[in-house]
Amino acid sequence: MEETSGSMEKQALAGVKVLDFGWALVGSLTSKQLADHGAQVVHVESITRVDLSRANRMTSMSSATNPDDKPWFTHLNTSKLGICLNLKCAPSRSVIERLVRWADVVNANMVPGAMGRLGFGYDQISAIKPDIIMAEGSAYGQTGPMAHEWGVDGTGGALSGYVDLTGWPDRGPVGPNVPYGDVVLPFLIATAIVAALDYKRRTGKGQYIDASMLEVCAHQITPALFNWEANGHLQTRNGNRIAYAAPHGVFPCRGDDRWCAIGVFTDEEWGAFCRAIGDPPWTKEQRFATLNSRKDNEDALEALVAEWTKKHRAEEVMRIMQTAGVPAGVVQTMQDIMENDPQLKEREFLVQLKHPVIGVFGHPTPPYKLLKTRAQVKTSPCLGEHTEYVCTQLLGMSDEEFITLWQQGIFR
Amino acid sequence: MADSLLSGFRALDLTDEKGSACGKILSSLGVETIKVEKPGGDPARAIPPFLNDGPDPEKSLHWLAFNTDKKSVTLNLEASQGQDLFRKLVEEADFVLESFTPGYLDSLGLGYEALARVNPRIIVTSITPFGQKGPYAKYKGSELIASAMSGVLATNGDPDRPPVREGPDSIYFRSDAAAALGTVIAHYHRQMTGEGQQVDVSLQEVAVSRTSSNLVVWEFDKQLIKRNATIRTVGARATQWLWQCKDGYVFWPYMGGKGGARGNRALSQWIDDDGLENPLKKVTNWEEFDFAAISREELDVHQNAIRKFFMNHTKKEIAEEGFRRKINAAVINSPADVLENPQLRARSYWVDLEHPELGTRLTYPKHFFLCNQTENFVRQRAPLIGEDNEEIYAKEMGLSGTEITALKQAGVI
Repeated sequence: MEETSGSMEKQALAGVKVLDFGWALVGSLTSKQLADHGAQVVHVESITRVDLSRANRMTSMSSATNPDDKPWFTHLNTSKLGICLNLKCAPSRSVIERLVRWADVVNANMVPGAMGRLGFGYDQISAIKPDIIMAEGSAYGQTGPMAHEWGVDGTGGALSGYVDLTGWPDRGPVGPNVPYGDVVLPFLIATAIVAALDYKRRTGKGQYIDASMLEVCAHQITPALFNWEANGHLQTRNGNRIAYAAPHGVFPCRGDDRWCAIGVFTDEEWGAFCRAIGDPPWTKEQRFATLNSRKDNEDALEALVAEWTKKHRAEEVMRIMQTAGVPAGVVQTMQDIMENDPQLKEREFLVQLKHPVIGVFGHPTPPYKLLKTRAQVKTSPCLGEHTEYVCTQLLGMSDEEFITLWQQGIFR
Repeated sequence: MADSLLSGFRALDLTDEKGSACGKILSSLGVETIKVEKPGGDPARAIPPFLNDGPDPEKSLHWLAFNTDKKSVTLNLEASQGQDLFRKLVEEADFVLESFTPGYLDSLGLGYEALARVNPRIIVTSITPFGQKGPYAKYKGSELIASAMSGVLATNGDPDRPPVREGPDSIYFRSDAAAALGTVIAHYHRQMTGEGQQVDVSLQEVAVSRTSSNLVVWEFDKQLIKRNATIRTVGARATQWLWQCKDGYVFWPYMGGKGGARGNRALSQWIDDDGLENPLKKVTNWEEFDFAAISREELDVHQNAIRKFFMNHTKKEIAEEGFRRKINAAVINSPADVLENPQLRARSYWVDLEHPELGTRLTYPKHFFLCNQTENFVRQRAPLIGEDNEEIYAKEMGLSGTEITALKQAGVI
């Protein structure tokens, strides 16, 4: 089993150098996008302040003491080099300064102000290297009354209106057991960084990028903002229903907690749906003849659809619907995703990589495929795995100097 | 006016609702983005809500939201003259964004390989439900279907009801962010080497990539994390993250260890100050507090006390007093509340854009991020159908009035 996916072909971001103070989700996932596409990313960590995902014991194989037995950390930090450096230890400053001179990009997502207190805010970093590109992600942004407040994934979701719109009309809001704000923000920051690299190539100018989870999340509810501002309609939770499709919902299937999602958007799809379930008499009723009438009788419609879906396995419902040209999809579990999904399998979305401590397991690949310069996902670094390599090979430190710094205790 | 990051590049945007935010992100970065719509307009212009509730392709608030700063030309890609015109446009373009069923553009002679013969530097970004290849490649999809097939939907909703979708089109939006990222990475490579390529984005894969922590819990422990309403399960620990308050709801993640310590301590103090019964007081070291070490019953006692506490306060109190006390809560804003949020206002997040044809003005989010050297802003309302036909076809491509009239009569533009 390999430690790298794909062969050693050319990579889109080959030659780009990133100094990475990212941690938790936002920072880790931002630099991961760059690393998986060939940028050389030096991820700075410290044993005195381990990453959230190095401490999280979500699986039983993860111990309280070993920072390297966390598969979640590995997912978030593929393809990076890892250096262990105690930023609060004064002599570490000279190493960071050299890394800044080496780097094209500095990536961070500490609480606003924290980088400055460590001596590595944008003013300090750009004084060392004026054309640096530095990006900082945060919950609220670097300025404004809430800037210094701490936030997690749901903070952006809650304040942006996303959570309020999710759930059933007769109940309170709910949220999925997966992140949103924490995983959408890194795509925007990485987009900004790569665009800034091209801007620098053309103009010679660096860039400081300030990205807020709240601000990125609020974009997606713009139609609801307009609906309030211009029409006076305050949208709220509406289950699985949407105004422009019916039936549009999640229907029970044979088996324990098995479901299939179905969405009928056009008249053509409604005709196909009716034929696919064998044209039962109710499908000819006037109350279901048009989208508007189906919307008016949606409770009855959904009950009738469920009577049919209940008799079939979710996979059969999807196959029957899709064969007929009706959008449908099994409500898949993680087991379905990892074991039974022929699409993800053929596209090699999960690659099996070998980690020196954890062993072989599946890693998601970037969900946007550059077909000529494919992502090459490598396993994540163990804590401090590349400290010596980075210092002596990338920064050109002599062995003597490295050992002296080691003895001063900065590499921990 | 300052530059934008990608000023001077051009995109042709053929997408429907699945891909419109990708072009919006690129246009906010300064890419001149031309929506190429079929005569009559992009079918996504039929998506409600509409201004004043009347269906009209020029009044879809959904469409207006995600097509800012774009130009619009109409073009029938199924007519051979339309295909010729499109190839001419591709000669001068840097990007093509599209969201058709895989194979459709190939059938018109406009697939990636064909376009690369016209312009080898072109980057074609394709945003589809399941990606370009594979047994489901031609399956139909949507926000809901992608959520179902990704494992996200199974984790959302009340246990006694079917799994429920996220309210906004969150998967479309994040897929478009992924597509924008793939596009600029391919762009960087193209500018360095001259080589163009296709970027293949699958809505399903974009959504699966959110489930990382659940993937490892299945792979290593064969546990499935299911929907559990307001309870968030991270690995083995399940605690309440959404709470009802006097006049709405709040987000306050009950978390152990260092991550939750400051907020937990501050909340416990506030419960005390309210004079309510406070079982949280028994915790002496929040930094070391581990949910695995307390019983289910004890956790219930804690969460019942927290529930009573939040019901004692309004959203405004939790936002203002909670901020002062640093409990790390966030109120669950309605769309109306979002417009009033003081943080967004302080950062000049909103911009009013005029819609003279509609006799109104609308308030838009202005940026995706801020830069110190460039302005990457939403500046201009979405285009009317074919608003830029004259500019592109006549002024830029040099078609004569007669030719344009003939194309119109043939239903090409």
